[in-house]
Amino acid sequence: MTYVVAWILGLGTLALLVLAIAHLVVALFLIIPTWRICTRAGFSGALSLFHLVPVIGWMIVMAVLAFSDWPNGEASPARR
Amino acid sequence: MGLDLAALMGILGLTGAFAIVGAVLAAWMAWRIVEKAGLPGWTGLGAVLLTLAVVSSIVPLVLLWVFAFMRWPRDEPAGAAPGYGGAAPAGGPARPAPTRALAPPAAALADRRGWKLVGGLPGGSVALAIDGSATAYVLTGAPAAEPTELSVPDPSVGRPHARLLIAAGRLGLEDLGTAGGTFIDGARLSPEHGPRDISAARAIRLGTVELTLSRA
Repeated sequence: MTYVVAWILGLGTLALLVLAIAHLVVALFLIIPTWRICTRAGFSGALSLFHLVPVIGWMIVMAVLAFSDWPNGEASPARR
Repeated sequence: MGLDLAALMGILGLTGAFAIVGAVLAAWMAWRIVEKAGLPGWTGLGAVLLTLAVVSSIVPLVLLWVFAFMRWPRDEPAGAAPGYGGAAPAGGPARPAPTRALAPPAAALADRRGWKLVGGLPGGSVALAIDGSATAYVLTGAPAAEPTELSVPDPSVGRPHARLLIAAGRLGLEDLGTAGGTFIDGARLSPEHGPRDISAARAIRLGTVELTLSRA
């Protein structure tokens, strides 16, 4: 019985670890381009680290980029 | 069992609702973001729709990378034709890059202010105004006899000592070969150097007279 519990706990920990690493890898692939977008827009690149927040992180980054004035300037409406 | 099914459906419904709200929000925000970068808004919407159509693929990732590293119409010079057509985040080969990403700086307005030379003499002080009404002034130790003569009454200043030249908002200085010498920020100016631009200089020395150059 003890073995079974330990086995299950170990499996669960492994699964969590794999999930966490996968999340970090995916986040990294999101953070690199987002970092560049943020700096081009005039924000700190660290804003892209919100991608580390699961589920709603991307929404926060997009919302900041979409609904705030870009310090480095935006395209004028005539050019859109 | 029925309760479990209801709970499961509830969770699915919640997830579905969250997904729908998230998709709509994402489309709206993507529209705004690409518009700020200078691309037509529908490209952002299209990118999100494409992402939804090919769920859990690397399509959104590729689009994000393309958008991050592509040339943004926002950064093009204002005179460039807005021919961005389909070169949106949705891909497509990047068109040849323009010669520069940033608009050229506006031509600097000429500084129309005059100049002034201020300094101390053993028996007082001297303040000379160079207003640019003439193109050349003569610095002399003798009393000024003409409007274009600027007097620095000191024995170490030659008669004349040096010439100031004004052209296109710049100030030049030419030594006329005197014993006392002319110095620009401590460096000796010889007659064979000809006129030197002293627009950015701070200190001029004529003989033993230290003069501070500034804009009037």
